[in-house]
Amino acid sequence: MQIKVNEQTIEIFAGARVRDVLLKYSRAEWTRVRNKEKIVTDAHGHEVGLDGELNGGEKLVIEACAPAEPRS
Amino acid sequence: MKRALSAGPGLRLLLFALLGVFVLLSATSATSATTRSSLTTELTRPALMAESTRTSLRAELTGSSAMTRLTQKTESTESHIVIFHINDVHGKIDNFAKVAAIIDAERKSGAEVFFFSAGDNFTGDPVVDRYDPPGEPMRELLARLRLDVLTPGNHEFDYGLEPLRRLAALFPTVSANIEEARPGTFPELRPWVVLKTQSGTKIVVFGLIQIEPANSLPSTHPDKIKDLRFSEPLAKALDLKNLRASGQVLIGLTHIGYEQDLLLAKQMPEIDVIIGSHSHTRIDPAEIVNGVLVTQAGADNMFLGRVDLRVKNGRLVEKKGRLIDLRQMRGEDAAIKAMIAGFHQNPALTRIIAKAPLEISGKNALGSLMTDAIRQSHGLDIAFQNNGGIRLNRLPLSITLKDVYSLDPFGNQVVQIVMTPAEIRDLIKSSFEKRNEIDLQVSGISYIVLTDRTPRIKEIKLQNPDGSPLAEDRTYKVGLSSYIVSSYIFAHQDPGRSLQTTTAEDLIRYLQSGVDLGLYRDVRRAFSEKAAASFRN
Repeated sequence: MQIKVNEQTIEIFAGARVRDVLLKYSRAEWTRVRNKEKIVTDAHGHEVGLDGELNGGEKLVIEACAPAEPRS
Repeated sequence: MKRALSAGPGLRLLLFALLGVFVLLSATSATSATTRSSLTTELTRPALMAESTRTSLRAELTGSSAMTRLTQKTESTESHIVIFHINDVHGKIDNFAKVAAIIDAERKSGAEVFFFSAGDNFTGDPVVDRYDPPGEPMRELLARLRLDVLTPGNHEFDYGLEPLRRLAALFPTVSANIEEARPGTFPELRPWVVLKTQSGTKIVVFGLIQIEPANSLPSTHPDKIKDLRFSEPLAKALDLKNLRASGQVLIGLTHIGYEQDLLLAKQMPEIDVIIGSHSHTRIDPAEIVNGVLVTQAGADNMFLGRVDLRVKNGRLVEKKGRLIDLRQMRGEDAAIKAMIAGFHQNPALTRIIAKAPLEISGKNALGSLMTDAIRQSHGLDIAFQNNGGIRLNRLPLSITLKDVYSLDPFGNQVVQIVMTPAEIRDLIKSSFEKRNEIDLQVSGISYIVLTDRTPRIKEIKLQNPDGSPLAEDRTYKVGLSSYIVSSYIFAHQDPGRSLQTTTAEDLIRYLQSGVDLGLYRDVRRAFSEKAAASFRN
């Protein structure tokens, strides 16, 4: 099946999860997401989990995490 | 009025006509109530009565008399309904002590509180997966949390049908696009359920489960669901439009993923709320799509979903949803916390599942064992495991589940790819060039990587267990961990498919099969030029 990550089409096995697609897209980006420096969102801007199950044709976007609120 | 009546026959005629309309409307209303009562009666399932009584559900089951009572009450009442919901918990039970504290506090506030699960409670943590019986911690915790209704996710079938039936014996379990292929296979399952609040509001909840386009089955091992039939969820949902008339609130409790939930909302504005799952999507706040409130609470029990509904005079007048970040919550239910601590002492994890006559140690022996497990479990020709996925140096003589999860802790799926010998060579080449050394352990064949001094690869020889070369004109069913498929760059025409098990599960099954572990003494199947004088198996 095909999943788009940041506009790049990734061909991946059927039954793949978000983590599989991310790893195939970029090991560096995978590491940033795993280290919680970045998050993965769907085409609608909602965060998805790394074990989220996918259907062909879906889109993912890797985004920087929102900066933490300063502590008062 | 008198003056109006005396104004002439035209006006009298108009008033008479108005009176006629009033009588007609009254009759229509009565007919409508009768129809709705009949429909309610049709929805009544005798099996649900006992369950609803046991779990203190406000389930609506009593037909026309209850309908009359409902009409009387809802005409003059306003109720606040709170539905807490979870999805894709995947065996992560630790935050249930917080969930219990939140739900209990809300129950004490006077709101009408319900608790729903949108599926995939099972699979993802050995504490739950490997309990005896499987899934029991989840069942007991959900019972203590007084779950009102659940829809099965694809991973609810991973342990087989019996553990799911044990859940369904405790909680109303709904899915409209699952049917029994053989009568009596899953009698507890129903397409929908009607819950009733104390103030008389009826909440109709139907379920749906995802299917794979390739085989029209949910994403689980096909053997686990061979006695069930599945239909396309969105097509099936269209048959449920008439449920709208059966209550004041219509909820889709779905396990089809967020994208499908959006399509469902667009095709069925009759639904009030869709509580979704499967895609592990964090929707906060819940959003309105075509008038339908759509929500989903991430995954792994990190969030608790909350939907607030206000019903006034029998009509839903307000709906909203948000997520509660359980990582930020401090309050915990002490009794539930103690239960969870007890489940973490899962005795099954330290039970001996196999005994070896000698210690199995080193990447070659351990990798051979792991790949044999993959190959045997699925009837494959060849299997590969990367050295980085072998996390112990040795297995003890008495092997426990805990040892297996320490050896193979990543939860990687097994993926089948149909490959040519040329593609297999490309995979081996890619793996070798990472560090100029053997990286892939193998089952079903042996291989040798011949290099020059640089060391650039000159040739990769593939050999059957009997010493013959692989046939170059055929393809092979190859099992790989999902990590290899995703992170190694190699040519393969077939994109592959998940076999819906993990490499660790295959190894457990293999060890429990009573295999002679003495075979793994000094076994080696992958060689580079310096190490290999000849092939051995």
